[in-house]
Amino acid sequence: MTGPAYDQALAIAPGALRAPWTRRVRDAVLLLLALAALVGMAIDLDLAPGALMTGFGKLARFLGEMFPPSSGGQSERILKALAETFAMAFAGTAIAAVVALPLGIIGAKTVVSNPALHFAFRRFLDIFRGVPALVWALILVSAFGLGPFGGVIALALADIPNLAKLFSESLENADAKPLEGVRSAGASPLAVMRFGLAPQFAPVATSQTLFFLEGNFRNAGVLGIVGAGGIGFELDERIRIFAFDEVAFIILLYMIAVAGLDTLSRWFRNRLA
Amino acid sequence: MNVTNPTVEAFERERRRALIRQRTQAVIGLAIFTVLLLVSFQRSQFFGSDIGGDPLGRIADFLQRMNPDLKPEALLADRQTQGSLHSWFYALPIWLRAAWQTVEMAILATALGSVLALGASFLTAQNLMPFAPVRFVVRRILEAIRTLPDLIMALILVAAFGVGPLAGVLTLTISTLGGLGKLFAEINEEIDPRQLEALQASGAGPLKKIRYGVMPQVLPNYASYALIRLEGNLAGAAALGIVGAGGIGLELQRAITYTEFDTYLAILMIIIAMIFLIDLFSEAVRHRLIGLEKA
Repeated sequence: MTGPAYDQALAIAPGALRAPWTRRVRDAVLLLLALAALVGMAIDLDLAPGALMTGFGKLARFLGEMFPPSSGGQSERILKALAETFAMAFAGTAIAAVVALPLGIIGAKTVVSNPALHFAFRRFLDIFRGVPALVWALILVSAFGLGPFGGVIALALADIPNLAKLFSESLENADAKPLEGVRSAGASPLAVMRFGLAPQFAPVATSQTLFFLEGNFRNAGVLGIVGAGGIGFELDERIRIFAFDEVAFIILLYMIAVAGLDTLSRWFRNRLA
Repeated sequence: MNVTNPTVEAFERERRRALIRQRTQAVIGLAIFTVLLLVSFQRSQFFGSDIGGDPLGRIADFLQRMNPDLKPEALLADRQTQGSLHSWFYALPIWLRAAWQTVEMAILATALGSVLALGASFLTAQNLMPFAPVRFVVRRILEAIRTLPDLIMALILVAAFGVGPLAGVLTLTISTLGGLGKLFAEINEEIDPRQLEALQASGAGPLKKIRYGVMPQVLPNYASYALIRLEGNLAGAAALGIVGAGGIGLELQRAITYTEFDTYLAILMIIIAMIFLIDLFSEAVRHRLIGLEKA
């Protein structure tokens, strides 16, 4: 982008076309520092280019072995595992919703108006919000024995703080006017909740819960890796013996199921909205 | 009150019909929901399994086992003393080192994934990539990445690249590419086209157009999304370790192998603190970015 027009423009307004050299040097130094930090981290983690190359070779072979996908004559067992995965997700979401509801009510500013208490409670939930379901599942399966039970509790534990936060936010966002209307008609506090608040809150909460069901179906698929049964267990087993045609079959089936549940749930949520 | 008005009668009939329809729908919906719920709880062995029913009792027992059994008078004693903090957090330096590795994994994967997503977003944005088949193919690839759960990808990559952080960084990089690629493309499509037109009119090539017409508009939004992604990747990296992808998750796995439940609790607390600190950092930077945008 040079030429007489550019030179002319540069003469009129040098700052508009080119940043002062101090800033350019500073930007360059910052960029170099960031790159150096990244390279340093890569070295610290022992990310060797050689391992990368051999790994890609192996990966290409795995991907080649995936075609054509095959059920290995165990499609019934795989379908059962898929059903078990859904059962885990459904039960986990149900428990999470039931526990998160009272927590969400306590966490709503409109219910507990003391700011210090509100802040403390929200922070308490925040602490647990980041813990992934798999981290819970690992210890729960070890404590409760192999099987889906630990997985269900793990999914619920990972969801409760997040769902409670969403619930309290939607309670706070509820319009106060319908409540006043019901109250002014002489209704009891319970009736105010039932006819003023519930019609506003229930559709939003249901839609949020459905959203978590979708997420849990994805999460439940991997909990089997730590022994919580379901499709993850079948996958882990087959990856260990390098049966990648069966791995591809399970992954495809699972992804179709995930997409199916997403579509169904989206249809429900659209109807609620 | 003798209502004979045909309009009112028709209305009443219609109303009755609507009510019946609504209630049947509700009953059927409730029945399906109940059956699903019961079957789910049954299938997931909630009330009966090989090791017995009593879910609440099992939870109580588990909490009891996770309790580190600290003794108030020996809290600050050395490692050999039962009930001291030191004997609970007995391998703290190793855990902190592993936690830092997890942070490094998350940062590297977020950086690499963001750069890849940047490229992908230019290939999928309608206003920057005029060639439709390229847009279509790249979009489908990003979608496929997003539907595949990270941990399943990690299992396969650990099998290919061996146990260690490499598989974890690659998994998170790919999943970041899938997630951010879509978001970045959406940002790209919302930019002000006039700046692009001005550059086009002055004869700028595609790269110059991106550098001077797109970047200044999108960078703050990109950075904001990438930082949110960093928070998610950190939790992801902690979980990936469990399947052999390095970092603090490996330590969790080790604690479970030796059934040290109180150690698990200690490492879990480190993970929670780590996630909390990165959240604070990311929030502070994001607020600064938004502030800069306003200024």
